[in-house]
Amino acid sequence: MHELSMAQGIINAVLDTAEANNATEVNEVTVEVGRLAMINPEQLQFILGVLVENTIIEDAEIKFEEIPAEIDCSDCNFHGDAILDDSDHYAPIVRCPECDSLNVEILNGKDIVVKNIVIEKPDDS
Amino acid sequence: MHQVADVEVAKNIMDANKRLAEKNLKNLEEKGIFCVDFVGAIGSGKTTLIEEIIDNTDYNIGVIAGDVISKFDAERIESHNVPVAGLNTGKECHLDAHLVGHGLGDLPLDDLDMVIIENVGNLICPVDFELGSHMRIVVISVTEGDDTVEKHPIIFQTSDVIIINKIDLAEAVGADVDKMVADAKKLNPNVKIITSNLKEGNGLDEIIKVIEDKKERL
Repeated sequence: MHELSMAQGIINAVLDTAEANNATEVNEVTVEVGRLAMINPEQLQFILGVLVENTIIEDAEIKFEEIPAEIDCSDCNFHGDAILDDSDHYAPIVRCPECDSLNVEILNGKDIVVKNIVIEKPDDS
Repeated sequence: MHQVADVEVAKNIMDANKRLAEKNLKNLEEKGIFCVDFVGAIGSGKTTLIEEIIDNTDYNIGVIAGDVISKFDAERIESHNVPVAGLNTGKECHLDAHLVGHGLGDLPLDDLDMVIIENVGNLICPVDFELGSHMRIVVISVTEGDDTVEKHPIIFQTSDVIIINKIDLAEAVGADVDKMVADAKKLNPNVKIITSNLKEGNGLDEIIKVIEDKKERL
C-alpha cells in the first residue's frame, strides 16, 4: 500500500547512480524485494512504470529478485531461511524449517534494495 | 559511441527509515523516556486506550497522534491535558521514523518520561516501518471479524503485546473471542494477549501493568 513512496526511493537511487556514472540511458534495473516486505511487486512495477516516464530509465527492464526471510528460531535455535507458508496469504506466516515453530525472530527479509543497474554511457566518460 | 556498464547501486530503500528510527530511540533514551507505539485497525480503540492510560497512570506522557488527514485524535487526546504532536501522513498509510522524529521535536521531551505513538489505523503497512519505540502493541477489536488475526499474520508475529478489544460486543457481531486468542497464540506463542472492553475499563489494569513491566526491565 506504500508502493508509491518505495518506488520514488528506487527511482531516486537509480537516477543518483546513473548520473554519477554519466549514464545516457538505463537499460536494466535489478531490485531485491524482501519476501516479508508489505509490498506487492506487481503494484510496485506498475507505479515504477509511471514514474520513469520522461527519464533516462524510461525504457529500462526492471527485474525483481526475492530476498528470503532469515530467522533465529527461539525453540530449536535454528538459524537460516524460514519456511514461508503463503498457502492462503500473500503475506506469509513465518515458520522454522527444522521444528515447525512460529516462535521465531525475523532477522532479514523486510528490505527493498536497488541492487544494480545496467547503463549506457559515452566511451570517453 | 556508447559503452554498456553494469553498475552496483546497493541502496537499501528501507535503510533511511531504520537509521532515523535508531536516531529517535537514541534521542528518547538520552532523556530517559520510554516509548510505546500502538498499531491497529481503524476503530479498534487505540485512541480510547491512550486516553485511559493517560487518565489512570502517573507518568508524564506526551503523545504523537498519527492520522491520514484529520486532527480528531490529536484534539481528543489534548483534552486530557497532555502535550500532543498531531502528525498527518497525507497520502501515506503509516507513520515513518522521519515523521515521528518531527513529532518528537514538537513535544517537551525534558518534561516527559513516556511517549505514546498512535499509528495510522492499518494492520499492514506499519509493519515495514520501525519508529524507534521500545515496545509495539497491536490493538484489534472483535467487530473487525474474528478472522482478523489470521488474515494479518506479520503484524501479530512482530508485535510485543496483542490486545483484543470490545469483547462485550462479540456475541452481537458473532465473533469468537477464543478463536482470536488461539490464532494470536499460534502466530506468536510467547506474546502477551489481553482481552478488553476499554469502554468499561476492563483489561486496562493488565495493559498498564505490561507497559510498566517492560519499562522497568529496561
